[in-house]
Amino acid sequence: MNEEKEKEQAAAIAELIANSNESGQKTDEKLETAKDTKGIFQKYKIKDIVFLAIITCCTLVTGAIMPLLVNVPLFGIIQLGLGLQFSLFPVIGMMKVKKPFALLLQSMFISVFLVFMFPPMVLLIACALVAELLTLLIFRGYRSDWACVFAGTLYLPLTLPLLYMYYNVFYTVSGEEKAAVSMFIGGGNTGLIVGISFAVLAVCFIGSVIGMVIARELKKAGKLK
Amino acid sequence: MPFFRYKRNLYPLIAIASALLIMVFGLVMARTVVCSYFLLGAFVWVILFGCYKQALKALPLFIVFGGAFALIAFFSSEKNFDGALAMANRFGAVFLAIIPSTSIQAVAMTRNLSQLHTPRGITLGMLITMSFIPVLKAEIKRVREAMRTRGAGSILNPKIFYRAFLIPLVTRLVDISDTLALSIETRGFTLGKSKYTVYKKEAVNYMDVVYIFGLVAGIVLCVVL
Repeated sequence: MNEEKEKEQAAAIAELIANSNESGQKTDEKLETAKDTKGIFQKYKIKDIVFLAIITCCTLVTGAIMPLLVNVPLFGIIQLGLGLQFSLFPVIGMMKVKKPFALLLQSMFISVFLVFMFPPMVLLIACALVAELLTLLIFRGYRSDWACVFAGTLYLPLTLPLLYMYYNVFYTVSGEEKAAVSMFIGGGNTGLIVGISFAVLAVCFIGSVIGMVIARELKKAGKLK
Repeated sequence: MPFFRYKRNLYPLIAIASALLIMVFGLVMARTVVCSYFLLGAFVWVILFGCYKQALKALPLFIVFGGAFALIAFFSSEKNFDGALAMANRFGAVFLAIIPSTSIQAVAMTRNLSQLHTPRGITLGMLITMSFIPVLKAEIKRVREAMRTRGAGSILNPKIFYRAFLIPLVTRLVDISDTLALSIETRGFTLGKSKYTVYKKEAVNYMDVVYIFGLVAGIVLCVVL
């Protein structure tokens, strides 16, 4: 009887040890996969959302000139006027919250307000998504500061083709007004369109670099952790 | 019954829908005289539904900017009245669309979105972006005061602007965001799928229904007549 009991106990102990080892292995595997996912995709914390919202507020306040710019029918005038703000602040946001879709979140926060100023600018969400996907494809995450600069530079210029379509819909007028409007838009002047597109890209690049410099300075001071 | 109770604020999503309606219709029909009548009617309509403060704030802005751009359009289109009218209508539509949207309270908007099960991160971000504007203004004022006290020089000088204004402002914003994130977490906010209660629910009222139907009726009348 005692031998049988001892055997049963030994078997139970062996099973327990085997189970614990197995679960230990599983947790190790889970930890490894968690580490892997930490490489690119990371969970957002409240402090990330708060900082992104605050930095979006800065973008919004400095971009309040938009209602005035939307009615000047010159190709790319909105992007030229907003390029600096819409690249500088998002880059600071991305430099602090180095997680994918930080730019997308910022564009979602700001879209609710942009819809009242200029509904087509809601398409910023789509532009942010494209910019983020391109950045993830090229840089595999936001570890490099230049990845943030790249996303920040592409963000606003991506709206150019969308707004070109908008202007063509709302300002294709007939009669005497057409002369004035075509003068404003630049008509079919390809040189002007290409020139303004490059100017917008340059402005956004400068804004992004300034954003990166500010963020680096704050990191040095121990403010951006 | 709450549906028939008098209330001063519009249902947030109806306010957004009305803003979009006014803006899109105004921009599409900008070249017609009927659009001017619609915008005038809509202005009176939003005042009747409790947005008189916002309307009074937007009116002088519209007169200044709309008037200036209408004059530019008038002279650039060889003194063509239609061009000036179209420009004035476009500005009118934009400024009128801003009125119902600025009447929405940040908390009401957040409650509304929470009721519709919008992800917590997005509602929280929008709430902060909306309600942070006064804090940001105060911070900008403080930094400017600090600049004056230290005799930092003109803000128009890029170097001074960067060193004495931009860096201190962003540093301050980082500090505020850290404190705010802690305080939000202390109040029990989480980004997970944990259950939450919306204590004061936003509900559609008969006034909202009358308001939006009035606007739609105005649009239909303008199109038919």
